Amino acid sequence: MMIKSYFLIYGLLVLSGVGMAEYRGWTLSSVDEVKNVPKSVRDNPGSYRSVYGYYHHYTGGK
Amino acid sequence: MSPSGPTPSGTPQIKSLNCPSCGAALTLRSFSQAVTVVCESCHSILDAQDPKLQILQKFKVAEGEDPPLIPLGTRGTIRGTAYEVIGFQRRTIHVEGISYSWHEYLLFNPFKGFRYLTEYDGHWNDVSTLRSLPEVSPGGSSLTYLGETYKHFQTAQAATTFVLGEFPWRVRVGEAADVSDYVAPPRVISSEKTGKEVTWSMGEYITGRDLWRAFKLPGDPPVPIGVYENQPSPMSANAKAVWGLVGLFLILLVVLLIGAYSLARNEQVFEQSYEFDTSAKGEASFVTDTFELKGHTADVELTTSAQLNNNWIYLNYALINADTGHAYDFGREVSYYYGYDEDGSWTEGSPKDEVTVPSVPPGNYYLRVEPEGEARHGTIPYTITVKRDVPQVSFFGLGILALLLPACVLTWRSLNFEHLRWAESDYGGAPDDGSLLGTAESIVDSVKGSMSGDDDDD
Repeated sequence: MMIKSYFLIYGLLVLSGVGMAEYRGWTLSSVDEVKNVPKSVRDNPGSYRSVYGYYHHYTGGK
Repeated sequence: MSPSGPTPSGTPQIKSLNCPSCGAALTLRSFSQAVTVVCESCHSILDAQDPKLQILQKFKVAEGEDPPLIPLGTRGTIRGTAYEVIGFQRRTIHVEGISYSWHEYLLFNPFKGFRYLTEYDGHWNDVSTLRSLPEVSPGGSSLTYLGETYKHFQTAQAATTFVLGEFPWRVRVGEAADVSDYVAPPRVISSEKTGKEVTWSMGEYITGRDLWRAFKLPGDPPVPIGVYENQPSPMSANAKAVWGLVGLFLILLVVLLIGAYSLARNEQVFEQSYEFDTSAKGEASFVTDTFELKGHTADVELTTSAQLNNNWIYLNYALINADTGHAYDFGREVSYYYGYDEDGSWTEGSPKDEVTVPSVPPGNYYLRVEPEGEARHGTIPYTITVKRDVPQVSFFGLGILALLLPACVLTWRSLNFEHLRWAESDYGGAPDDGSLLGTAESIVDSVKGSMSGDDDDD
């Protein structure tokens, strides 16, 4: 019955984890975070360069 | 000869005799109930009810014969009653050319009578004779006793190959009996048929450690080897209990899911349509109006819907907190292709893309958007929609997997335990009785069969 107790705790942890993930808005994917972006970006958007710029694009189709 | 008998307290007393063959001292512990007694020195089996102790049989002892693990004369308490070990025998069966031997210890209490301990490869059973007959099914595949069903496990001819001490029957080395075992762990019911006489007994699995404690034996009991026929599965009860908890947790998870969908804001905070002229020169990036993300730290879902016609648009996004300058940087490609070929119509991609930004604190935000595209594609209209605190099902799916995984592992181990148990039976596997184990065994067998069939084909 020790396993039952362990699983009870484990299940509660899983439920808590799912609840916390849902409440805090966690996702399985992540995005890059950049700190201290200057306020001047609002007036001059071109001054900010995304790390995702110059992406090698797929131009496929069948 | 010093006659004595049971004391009022029930503590066994002993009576001393001498072997007529070798003169060695003999000890009688069960008094008038002893029918035969074995001389430990010359291994003569004597008639204990004959005042002259007539020799009934003499047998040779193989070299290296192990002494009983619980010595004769040892006293211990089983189920609250004091017993003394008065007899010991080894019995052997032959299955497919292999000999299997187990040991039986005869216990005696002057008021409670006899009971037995059996030992095989470190597995012990506390055995007593049945007071009423079990009901055997017509085919003999099972029996019922006191409302419990026992499955037939094995039938074999067992021969007595070694004896020591005293017995309440005419024991003989070489004596054979047809023995059948029916199991319902942790119990086993055995029938022993000698001639026309059938004796039924019930054994209950007991650990060596408990026995060592009961008889205050020194050292440790032998470590059990393998899985015994009526050994209780340590996983079976656990698996059932865990599956019960899994059911409970899954219900709670559904309640949590409903709660999450009911309580989530799922609030659209921004929507704007734009056009991207792919052939235009100059800086393509721009920023949106500021919008407020309310409530607690939660996710943000950004949807891009583009009017695409066999082309693509790529958007560099930065979700920037207007107050702190903290930015979430990501890029999304939206592409949609379609056409028709010899296989029929086809499509690839989607004109709509969704991305979720995790754990965004509340505050005032704007988007920096930098579209990219091929100049030949002309103008591409697209719409950006931002939603706050959108419920996600992915973690619920992971939660279900996390709950099911340990339960499945436990069940697999439980089935494996039963497989090992029944591998030693007459059937070489679980009985095909429609039970979960039988079904699982059938599936495993058919998979193995089909795999070996594939191998043959190869």
